[in-house]
Amino acid sequence: MPALFALLAGCASIPEQASRLPAGAGGVELVETPFYPQERYQCGPAALATLLDMSGVSVSLPAVTEQVYIPQLRGSLQAELIAATRNAGRVPYVIDPELSALAEELRAGRAVLVLQNLGVAALPRWHYAVVIGIDPAGNEVVLRSGVDRRRVTPKKTFLRTWARSGFWAMTVIRPDELPARADRLRYFESVAALEQVGQLDAAEAGWRTALSEWPDDRVVLFGLGNVQFAKGDWAGAERHYRALLALAPGLAAVRNNLALSLAYQSRFAESLEEIARGLRDTSDPRLRDELRASMDDVLALREEHPNQLPAAESP
Amino acid sequence: MKSNWLRSMMLNVMTVSVVCLGWSQASFGGVVDTGYLIESEARDASLARVEAFLARQDVERQLLSLGVDPAVVVERIGGMSNAELIALEGKIQNQIVGSDAIAVIGVVFLVLLILELVGVTDVFTAI
Repeated sequence: MPALFALLAGCASIPEQASRLPAGAGGVELVETPFYPQERYQCGPAALATLLDMSGVSVSLPAVTEQVYIPQLRGSLQAELIAATRNAGRVPYVIDPELSALAEELRAGRAVLVLQNLGVAALPRWHYAVVIGIDPAGNEVVLRSGVDRRRVTPKKTFLRTWARSGFWAMTVIRPDELPARADRLRYFESVAALEQVGQLDAAEAGWRTALSEWPDDRVVLFGLGNVQFAKGDWAGAERHYRALLALAPGLAAVRNNLALSLAYQSRFAESLEEIARGLRDTSDPRLRDELRASMDDVLALREEHPNQLPAAESP
Repeated sequence: MKSNWLRSMMLNVMTVSVVCLGWSQASFGGVVDTGYLIESEARDASLARVEAFLARQDVERQLLSLGVDPAVVVERIGGMSNAELIALEGKIQNQIVGSDAIAVIGVVFLVLLILELVGVTDVFTAI
C-alpha cells in the first residue's frame, strides 16, 4: 500500500526541471498580442489564429477553424495545429517541456500555445490557450484564454494543468527566425516537413536561416539542395550537394541527388559517374535500389534528349 | 539528468516525427529527401546513447554474469529498426529518469529486456 501511495504521489508531482524559472526570466508580457475570443469548444482555432496573426500571417478565425476544428471531437488535435501552421508557411516548433523554455520564447517576442487539462485525469477537459506573459516575480502566468482577454493564473495552477498534457507547447516561427532554444534535429525536422507540404519558399528561407546558425551543417546543405531541386534550380541544387560532398564524400544519398541534378542539366556522363561512385560507396540496399532507379531515369532522359548530347557527338 | 528528463519527454515527439518523415521515395523524381539524413543522424545519436548505457560498468558486469559478450549486444542493436531502437531507448530512459544511479534490480531488468529485444534468446534457456 505505501508503494501504491508513492506511485500516485509521484504522478501528481511536478518535476523540478519543468517548473524551474531562472531569476529574471519573468517580467515579460506581450501586450500587443492579438485576441481572438473563442467560440464554443473552439479554443484550438482561436489560439492558433492568435499565433499566426502575431507572426505576420493574415488570418481569419473562420478560415483557421475550417482547417483545424474537428466537430466530432469538439476540438482540435495537436497534429492539426502543426499542419495548419505549415500550410501558412510558418515553422511549427514544439518547445522543450519546461517553463524556462516557454519564458525564453516570450522574451524573444513570441507568445506560446499551450495544451492544458482544466479538468482532472478521470474527467479531462482539454484546452488550448496562449501564454503571453510571466510576472516579474515568476509567480503568475498571463494568458489569452477562451473568452478572457487577460487571464492571470498562479504559476502553480498553470503548471498543474499544463503538466497533464506532458507540458506540450508550441510556437509559430517565421522562416527567417529561429526558436529561442532550438534543438537542432527537432527544428530541422520541422523545416524539412515544409518541403514535403510544398511550402518551398518557406522551406528555403528556413534552411538559409539555419545555415547562419549552423554553418556547413550537413542536413542544412542537403535541405537547401533539395528545395532548390524541387524548384527546378538544378545548378543551385548541384552547388549545395557538392558543398556537402566536399565535407562528407561518403554520403551516397547525396551522390544520388547530385546525379539527378546533373542529368537535368543534360550532363549525363558526369551524372552516371556520380551514380557509379554512389554504388561503390554504400552497401545500404535501399540506397542501392534508389541509385539504380536513378541510373535508369538518367539513361531514359538521355534517350529522350539526344539533341542535347555534347556538340562533338552531333553530326 | 536534465537531458535525460528532456529526452524522455521529447522521445514521443521524435517517434511521431521520425515515422512521419521516414524514407519517402521520390517526391521529385528519385530524389532522396532531407528526412533521410535527419533520420540517419537521429539514429546514430540514439545508438550512441544506448551504447553508452551498455558500456556502464554495472550493465557490463550484468551482461558478463549472464555469459553474454557486450560486443555481441552492441552489434545486434546496430541491426535494429528505427522503431525498435526508439522503443528500446524509451525503456532505458524511463528507468533512468530521476536517478543517476539505477537500482540493481533496474539494471537486471533492463539487461534482460535488451537481451530479449535483440534476440539473444539462448540466454534465457541458460538461466
